[in-house]
Amino acid sequence: MRRTIFMTGATGTVGSELLRRLMTRDDTTINILVRRAGYDRRPQIEYGLRGIDARATLNVLEGDLCSGASLGLCDDTLTSLARVTTHVIHCGGSTSFVRPLDESRAVNVDGTRGVLEFARRCDQLESAAFFSTVYVSGMRSGAFSESDQGDAGHGFVNPYEQSKAEMEDVVRETMRDLPILLFRLSSVIGDSRTGSVRGFNTVHHAIRLLYQGLAPMVPGCPTAPVDMVSSDYVADAALHLIERQSRCGVFHLASGAEASTTIGEILTSTIDSLIRFRPSWRKRSIEKPMIVDLETYELFVRSVEEAGNQVLRDATRSIRTFAYQLAHPKLFATQRTTDALAGSGIAPKPVLEFYPRVVRHCLETNWGMQPC
Amino acid sequence: MPVPTLNLRSMNSTAGIEEVATYLPSESASLEELRERGLLNGSVDTLRSFGFDRVHLAGEESNADMAIRAAQKLLSEADVEPDQIGLILYATALSSSATMSDVGESRAIGGAVLRLNDVADLFKYPASLVQSELDLPKASVMGVNQVGCASIFAALRMARAMIASESELDSVLCVSADKFPIGQPRDLVYNVVSDGASAALVRRDASRNRIVECAQVTKGALWDGGSLENEIVAAYFPTAKSLIERTLAKAGLTIDDIALVIPHNVSARSWEILGKLIGCPRDRIFMDNIRCAGHTIASDNLLNLERATDEARIEKGDKLLLFTFGYGLNWACMILEH
Repeated sequence: MRRTIFMTGATGTVGSELLRRLMTRDDTTINILVRRAGYDRRPQIEYGLRGIDARATLNVLEGDLCSGASLGLCDDTLTSLARVTTHVIHCGGSTSFVRPLDESRAVNVDGTRGVLEFARRCDQLESAAFFSTVYVSGMRSGAFSESDQGDAGHGFVNPYEQSKAEMEDVVRETMRDLPILLFRLSSVIGDSRTGSVRGFNTVHHAIRLLYQGLAPMVPGCPTAPVDMVSSDYVADAALHLIERQSRCGVFHLASGAEASTTIGEILTSTIDSLIRFRPSWRKRSIEKPMIVDLETYELFVRSVEEAGNQVLRDATRSIRTFAYQLAHPKLFATQRTTDALAGSGIAPKPVLEFYPRVVRHCLETNWGMQPC
Repeated sequence: MPVPTLNLRSMNSTAGIEEVATYLPSESASLEELRERGLLNGSVDTLRSFGFDRVHLAGEESNADMAIRAAQKLLSEADVEPDQIGLILYATALSSSATMSDVGESRAIGGAVLRLNDVADLFKYPASLVQSELDLPKASVMGVNQVGCASIFAALRMARAMIASESELDSVLCVSADKFPIGQPRDLVYNVVSDGASAALVRRDASRNRIVECAQVTKGALWDGGSLENEIVAAYFPTAKSLIERTLAKAGLTIDDIALVIPHNVSARSWEILGKLIGCPRDRIFMDNIRCAGHTIASDNLLNLERATDEARIEKGDKLLLFTFGYGLNWACMILEH
């Protein structure tokens, strides 16, 4: 039977990986919703699909997640899409940590409501996949399981986390009516085989600040866990579950207890990788950032803010948007995902096994500023 | 028959800072006054929150004048005969302080610091003037520079090493004086600079302030302080913590063994942070001079050691940790046994 997929966020870090895989499927039509940009988005999408044996049919629809239930599409288009769609994959959203809460909500919460409205209209719907983050756990510490919800009153580190937690509330309300898969992603840092990065995020920015010698300290404890995943694992796991999982559920696409690392180890690996892949960097004698308690970190941040040094202030602010997570250590349980992936051969690779490749990619592309 | 070996460590252990004296010009100015005179770029409120209030200004006095006054004061207070001083180590942070000429209103030309009327001016050394003015005929002289505000630490370290290696050298006079260029804003990388001078008498078998350990780190990649300010500020804390911990470990001590930290005066806030990093409570860091004296370039630690001694904040046998930081880029640490 022919599958028809309606997908958002196909140009993003995870969406583009999913699209590359979906495009190799037979008997598949993929309708992707891209933000109306005033220019042709096709070349960008085609560039992301280079090198694959494309068999599926791809249609690019220009719309807007922030346009309510219409998704920025005309009613006729929406109606005909709803008639044929068998799968909804909603990867679209804002991943900015610094965007104000109302703006993050408009995309992540209201945009999701629009996609859910559309999913309700799809009579042939087999599954609807929504992408969230493990950091809906906010500032809580300790184990966070796939059945746990939100921050449990501990608050959030940034508006992104809060908007995603609110998004989950909206999605969860619909789980009774629709075959929904909710994927909570850890920090996606790049391809485990090549280290290539499709979307540079705060982790890569932090590597850059360390490279530039602008990251003197991070809050936390050296043995606190750090959870990161590769983009290929996330795409492989999500697709496997979308295609085979029939029951609703929340899945953690995270490295979990087995594959995660620690703050101390990741900082050491960063320094080692920078020296290994850019030997001249050693000459700069940049010290490994200190891992300090939250009180000391906040005093340093306050001093930098008061001193008004623009570059250091920007660097500190950008680290701060996620650094507070490090001071609230948690372990993301992945039991349900592990069970669902059993026998597939799909499993997260140990972070330290592929992280150096990501650092090398950052160096070789100057953080995406030049081709590899 | 076993070959006798020279145990430098045990020889070093006898040298210490017998006497300290400092000199601050009588003229001083508050942050507001500096602001009014165009000598402050930053916010008065911010600098005050970093612990500053007043600094001293040398006016007509030259760096050599200040050095002589500090050294004269030391000699008048110390139990030492002029003939006993075998070496003067003249330590300076600013390039302009290594000559007799005053920077004044002049500007750099072709890489030179001073506007010269005569090339011979380049060979007028304040160290020699100090020797002459203080009438120390048996003292040879040397200059110690290019380590920024860590220059006096370098001088003290050299004094200890030379006393250990030269059997006839028992007393070294370390002198440091810097005068900030006239008309230049005095706030520099979150601190406010004062003019001042200091002198220390390093002696074999000193009755106090035995130099237990000293260490220095130089990160030449950060030599260009002007254009690498962000990197310098970011490098400061991790390197400071690492050096202090290493120096303590070399001395077989922990921070809990230190009775008092004798700091540089580069902002009280920086010491609040560094204190947390090295696990030293605020009441064991002697910051009383920051508000009233500002950052006297290379003389901070001796200024603070002198005051802490005068106010009986330290007792015989106390372990003291001195730490400073200078352009170049240099971090220096020293442990004394009072």
